[in-house]
Amino acid sequence: MKILDIAFKDLTRSFRSAFAIGMMVIAPLMLTGLIYFAFGGMSGGDVSMTAVKVGVVNADKLPADSVLEAPIGDNIRSMFFDESVGSWITATDYADEASARSALDEQEIGVAVIIPQNFTERYLSGKQDVQVLIISDPTLSIGPAVVQDMVTMMVDGVAGGGIALQTIMERLDANGIQTDPAQIPSWIERYGNWYAEFQRNLFHHPDKAAYVVVAPAAGEMETADPIQKVMGLTMAGQMIFFAFFTGAYSMMSILREDEEGTLARLFTTPTDRTSILTGKFLAVFLTVILQGIVLMVAGHYAFGVNWGEFGAMGLALTGQVFAATGLGVLLIAFVKNSRQGGPVLGGGLTALGMLGGLFTANMPNAMPAAMNTIANFTPQGWVLKAWRLVMDGSAAGDLLIPFAVMVAMGVVMFVVGAAMFGKRFA
Amino acid sequence: MRILDLALKDLSQIFRDKQSLLFLVAMPIVFTFFMGFAYRNVGGDPNADTRIPLAVVDPEPDAVLNKALLTRLGSSESIRVERMSEADAMDAYRKEDVAGVLVIPVEFSGQIEAGEEAQMKLIADSTSAQGQSLYQLLRVPISQLMSAVEVSREAADIVDASDMSTEQSAAFDLAWSKWSEASKVSLVKIEPAVAEENADWTGGNPYNQSSPGILVMFAIFGLVTSAQILVQEKKSRTLQRLITTNMKPWEIVAGHMLAMFTITFLQTAMLVVFGQWVLKVDYLREPLAVLLVSVTLGLWVASMGLLIGVVAKEEQQVVLYSMIAMFLFSAMGGMWFPLETAGGAFAAIGRAMPSAWAMNGYQNILIRGLGLGSIWMAVGILSMYALFFFVLAVWRFRKMEA
Repeated sequence: MKILDIAFKDLTRSFRSAFAIGMMVIAPLMLTGLIYFAFGGMSGGDVSMTAVKVGVVNADKLPADSVLEAPIGDNIRSMFFDESVGSWITATDYADEASARSALDEQEIGVAVIIPQNFTERYLSGKQDVQVLIISDPTLSIGPAVVQDMVTMMVDGVAGGGIALQTIMERLDANGIQTDPAQIPSWIERYGNWYAEFQRNLFHHPDKAAYVVVAPAAGEMETADPIQKVMGLTMAGQMIFFAFFTGAYSMMSILREDEEGTLARLFTTPTDRTSILTGKFLAVFLTVILQGIVLMVAGHYAFGVNWGEFGAMGLALTGQVFAATGLGVLLIAFVKNSRQGGPVLGGGLTALGMLGGLFTANMPNAMPAAMNTIANFTPQGWVLKAWRLVMDGSAAGDLLIPFAVMVAMGVVMFVVGAAMFGKRFA
Repeated sequence: MRILDLALKDLSQIFRDKQSLLFLVAMPIVFTFFMGFAYRNVGGDPNADTRIPLAVVDPEPDAVLNKALLTRLGSSESIRVERMSEADAMDAYRKEDVAGVLVIPVEFSGQIEAGEEAQMKLIADSTSAQGQSLYQLLRVPISQLMSAVEVSREAADIVDASDMSTEQSAAFDLAWSKWSEASKVSLVKIEPAVAEENADWTGGNPYNQSSPGILVMFAIFGLVTSAQILVQEKKSRTLQRLITTNMKPWEIVAGHMLAMFTITFLQTAMLVVFGQWVLKVDYLREPLAVLLVSVTLGLWVASMGLLIGVVAKEEQQVVLYSMIAMFLFSAMGGMWFPLETAGGAFAAIGRAMPSAWAMNGYQNILIRGLGLGSIWMAVGILSMYALFFFVLAVWRFRKMEA
């Protein structure tokens, strides 16, 4: 009964504190909301990406005797000024490479496309020793990749036309037929039409394309909506991080009581020290459970997170509570006073959270394999592993190993922490 | 002088707690290593096979197009092909042994050669970097394969041979060999806009990205200790006593801010030295520029710490506000993920954040290879933010005083 009284007193104190509510519920929801906002929300799928700012230097000139109507450089340039790409590419002309480089340094543009003066001439003469130069801001990755893709596609189209022409001429020759130069434009036109349709299908009509990328069917591994999975993992990462925070900070009540002198007073009563510690542990245990439930419900309704099967969910949450509470007891045993708690708990839990993969949970393959191994030595790593399984649709039976590890880690940490407390307050 | 006395008192109070100090010093170092790992496999086996593993489900390995494509992929320096049955391939994908599965349907080669529609499917996570890379890496040889088929069909039509099948086959071999040759020569050259030639986008050193990122993040984290002093003074009522002395309110605020600035700047300086000597991040390439960015970063963080200290009623609130500020400014300022991957509105707001400007200042020197002239904008904006937070803190302090 005394254990329950102590637990109830601590719970009342926790839930009266705006700090506790902020840390337990508002902070994780706010941070997940931030990521949600960053990626434009998932239900509407309307992710307006930042426009890629491209600078174009087109010095290409049409050789005097060319069969083409315009230099290849003009086609490359017009791609970036086309109305169809206006919503995600902002293009500007630059007179020369130096002015484009200067614009890059000033961060007015993210990518510069430099088409050399003799590109068409050298290309048509079969001397492929000239290149379109793409210079990019080294801190960007997506914009340059998009531009590279567009230029490569255009250049590949031109290269394909050349290959078509050479192949037809060589096959005519092999069959003893003389090439009629008047036919060449129609050959190039036929190939050009095919290439345009091939590209159109590839990017706009995936049902007709020869090559398509698909997500694995639901239930095989991925959820139907990959963005939803990203949000689920983000929410899980934040929930785990703040559950451990709550576990540790709730245990700090023992330090505050020590500083305020109420702990010493409590020790003068007939209540034995094990009951006092167990009461405090119970309060933390209940707080972390309640926090988990609130965050899961809020995550489901606010961000559409699909937490998985009920039984598996229960096991993951219980394991999380054991691990968070156990680590809380252990960490607090190392802290001398509540003032020291800030940097020690903040730093320690952030470090363990990072090593456990909580901040990179939504980035597949972000970390090298060695870091995944290190995550196995942190309680946060095992809790995340359990939630990954639950969100991938695993049944409760699949969670037995991670559950056992989480509980074992929690119990061991609790026993060590409790022993240290026992010594300190002996 | 009294400002200095107050700052020294705060500093001695902070430096007394060795355990907290250890966290302020050790944590960012551990994190820098961690993020360095995240950006690239630092210290990994240089002979390790870094190609992206791809499972290929090929039910007709002897079919012409399947054979041509698989031969090309087999010589790829970017993709490692593993032939498997569909069940094994999906199992390998689930276990993350492969980054994707390319499924070539039965009769693919025959149907394409006959001019019918057929489709190869790449099963991969298109939201992941590896999934996207895989798609792009496969798109080039598959486009070329389809091009060779179209060229062979066109050549056979034009030659109008009696045996169309034989002519088409010969034309395909010729066109495909030309594509194989052409793919060895790139008509597009990519280079990062840096003053010095470097190996990759991180300037050849992954810590060029992680070191300043963690430096900015932990400058804010340091407030969990330094901003607590003001709260302790409020709680013990020494602040109220201080107000009754002839020390002016702005002097009290400035004294506390000076202590916070000193702590932040010392931490930043320590991380710069660590980055320079241990991680080989060349901060000293432009020492004055690094100093200016670090000073204005310290001023902004200290003025924000002052505001936190004035607003918070308990030490715990300082921890919460500092942590939220750290997460907020780190996430929005592009320290967790590049802002170019975020939505337009988020990226626009993020770029306006002081943390993003501090990062921009360091990146101009470390990654873009620019000089002193490139950091003035960052320094100016950080100073404006510092002033804004300082004015806000003084205003709150005056209200509290009243």
